[in-house]
Amino acid sequence: MTEESRFTLPLGYRMSRRSVLRTAGLATAGLAGASLLAACADEDDDDGEDVAAEPETDDEEEEVEEEEEEEEEEEEEPDDDHDADEEDMTVDVSQWSPEYIEEIAGTMDFDTAEFCAGIVPLDYEGSVTFSYIGPTEASPQVTWDFDEEFWEAWAETYPGIPLEVGDSVQSHTYGDMLDQVRTAAFGNAAPNVARMPILWGVEFAARGMLEEINLEDFGFSESDFWPGALQSCMWEGRLYGIPTNNETMALIYNKQLFEDAGLDPDAPPETWDDVVEYSRIISEETGAHGFGMVARVNHGNTPFRFMPTLWAYGGSALDEAEDGPEYQESLLRSDGAKAALQAYYDMYVRDQSVPTGALTNDNTANTDLFIGGQLGMYIGHPAEYAAMVDRADNATGEEQELAQQVVDNIGYALIPEGPARRAVVFGGSNVHIFKDEFSDHDLDWDAARALIAFQCAPEWSIKMAWAGSNPGHLGGFRTHWMQERLDEIAFLEVASSMLPFGIPFPVIPEATEIMNITIPEMLQNVLTEQMTVDEAAEQAADEVEDIIGGREGY
Amino acid sequence: MAVSAPQQATGQVATRNRREPKNVFQRAYRQWADYTYIMPALLAMFFVIAYPIAYTIYLSFYSTPTAGENVWNGLTNYTSIITAERFWMITQNTMYWTIVSTILAFIIGTAAALVAQREFIGRGLVRGIFLIPWVISHVATAYIWVWIFHSDYGLVSGMLMDLGIISSPLVILDSTTWAMPALILVNVWKDFPFIMIMMLAGLQTVPEHLLRAAKIDGASTWAQFRHVTLPHLKGVIIITLLLTIVMNLNHFTLPWIMTGGGPASSTHIWITEVYALAFRSLRFGIASAFSVILFIIMMSMAYFYVKAMTAGDDRRR
Repeated sequence: MTEESRFTLPLGYRMSRRSVLRTAGLATAGLAGASLLAACADEDDDDGEDVAAEPETDDEEEEVEEEEEEEEEEEEEPDDDHDADEEDMTVDVSQWSPEYIEEIAGTMDFDTAEFCAGIVPLDYEGSVTFSYIGPTEASPQVTWDFDEEFWEAWAETYPGIPLEVGDSVQSHTYGDMLDQVRTAAFGNAAPNVARMPILWGVEFAARGMLEEINLEDFGFSESDFWPGALQSCMWEGRLYGIPTNNETMALIYNKQLFEDAGLDPDAPPETWDDVVEYSRIISEETGAHGFGMVARVNHGNTPFRFMPTLWAYGGSALDEAEDGPEYQESLLRSDGAKAALQAYYDMYVRDQSVPTGALTNDNTANTDLFIGGQLGMYIGHPAEYAAMVDRADNATGEEQELAQQVVDNIGYALIPEGPARRAVVFGGSNVHIFKDEFSDHDLDWDAARALIAFQCAPEWSIKMAWAGSNPGHLGGFRTHWMQERLDEIAFLEVASSMLPFGIPFPVIPEATEIMNITIPEMLQNVLTEQMTVDEAAEQAADEVEDIIGGREGY
Repeated sequence: MAVSAPQQATGQVATRNRREPKNVFQRAYRQWADYTYIMPALLAMFFVIAYPIAYTIYLSFYSTPTAGENVWNGLTNYTSIITAERFWMITQNTMYWTIVSTILAFIIGTAAALVAQREFIGRGLVRGIFLIPWVISHVATAYIWVWIFHSDYGLVSGMLMDLGIISSPLVILDSTTWAMPALILVNVWKDFPFIMIMMLAGLQTVPEHLLRAAKIDGASTWAQFRHVTLPHLKGVIIITLLLTIVMNLNHFTLPWIMTGGGPASSTHIWITEVYALAFRSLRFGIASAFSVILFIIMMSMAYFYVKAMTAGDDRRR
């Protein structure tokens, strides 16, 4: 067998021999997920079954791959089969790093049509309705291009299941989708299939509106996804969705401001205590704001930026940062939570080293301040680099010069760690199937399966998340499309390497209220000095417990 | 169809001679054709207004957990709202917002109407300029003023710092003290043209000969306004004030976009609280009870509005 010969795996996976060896040797992205899953499943499994071993027996294609590899590479892999399999399934999470992501990218080819044919025949005739958040005026051209390409590819793959945007497909904006789908579901007019931001689905699952999902029906297994992503699809131990894309953010900083402040531009803050200190130094030495704090109430940007700090210090809204969360008790009154609040208080009130407008700012304000050279550090997506390059290109005169200087000095770093852990919010989207009685259209199960398999498989999982996210299917990291993304999108590998540190918000229907109202109000009570840190934390903890306890009345 | 003068006269005599039935049903029966004409509109309103109102009242007596069935809890939602400290804090905010906004907008709107009524070169242009805030959308207004007031790169702070009046930016929307006054300022700026238009329409109904007679009798400008203009404007003033109060009580866009109810709930008013309860907290039962309380308050306003609108109808009949 030559180096170019390929292993054709079931369900559309094709890997070159070299790729197999590289991937097996390094522990694949899928295996990386498997180890986390194993750890998670160990904790979650009520009946004590060793579910950590499940991926090893269920994921037959991986096993076949390993067996073939063993036969081919006996000299390189002299250990006994069992040990090798165990080792491959037990992934060293520490390998998930910028270098590791770059190393595995491009090691696997994938044929979506072949994969889908194994789920639902390509000549199947049926119908389905679908809702998702489509591209908007603010989306980059590449998002529009891939969206168009997606529907063309779908029509080509499944000509017997017509889908047309504006007819059987509804494209929403982020701001309106939840209210619209919620209203439709209450009126028994929900779409058959809906792709929604992570955690929106739990509300519908809790109301009994979603179909339970069995991953194997769609050609997937648990090891194809991040455990955190699957956790976000669970309600009362059952799976109600499949991850389509996952995202984590990184710390973005201005190296020039670091240098002007006397800080090492190549040494971003490693801990949140460093962030507080660096923020003060930048503010005092340069007059710019140190850290881009966001503490607006009723806005998702706030918890996405504060919770990593809270978790890092050892606090959490409930116990979502712990292994096997039960969501019964609030850890907002913990010392860790109070330490995180104190850090925010120190930056906003004591040092005044962050934007004064933090209480009303969303993160766009931070981007504005950053590109204007007025902000040292903030938490953001990799896509923000491209956005800033665009803005620098479109600016004129002195502003163009300043913006270009900022762009030339952008640094991306891992989100700092705290005494307890390094953490980031695990974001993304999941796709769900509404039960027939809540839908506007008779549920054609096979058509729904085909649509979900098509969009959740590596190709479209990565292409539909091209500019601002990451593939939900871990196989996407191995494709050449990932390699293209890494070449195109600066600092993508840094933000992606935060994925193992991702913590989903509590997977309960009340999470929206807790994250968008209780947490920001707690912050505002501290930052406006309406309450002390202790008072605010205690009050917020009481409120969270009241909320999850199914409080009666106002 | 053209109607000749003799025909009109005959019709008027016939109407006068016809005995008006006292019974309301008999009167309604006589006007069956009128009711037929408005029936489609009434039906449409019934489905889009009556049903939601009825369902809101129904839900207000239930606890509505996100997972599971709704549970009857009687008046618990109402009593918990009325007895909650937060409700009274938000009520205080709402009164502050509504009363100060209404009074300031009324004073400025009336003054603008008096100016716009006078004849001077460029009057049309001035009227047009006064109307600009009214025609700008609420969302655009909110974002523009957020930019003007912004604590870090706001226009107000920037200008004052450039002039050397202040040394550091003003904290406006991020201050629990100044956020609400700032919102009221924007609301007044947005609402005064409406009051100006209403008052201008009222001013144009004041009989010119009465003003001239008062002037001949030696009345000062203030006396003319106090004793001639104002009495004529009484109905318009009441209606304008009621409409403005209801608009302000229901005003959602400005506070929601500009501050989201913050900082520390200092700009939360009834309507933003109801929205947050329903669509952020998914607590539809309590939000419904809150809505019903607001509905009762609004309907009491509507009673006075209709009374003011129909004042004198009986005399005319």
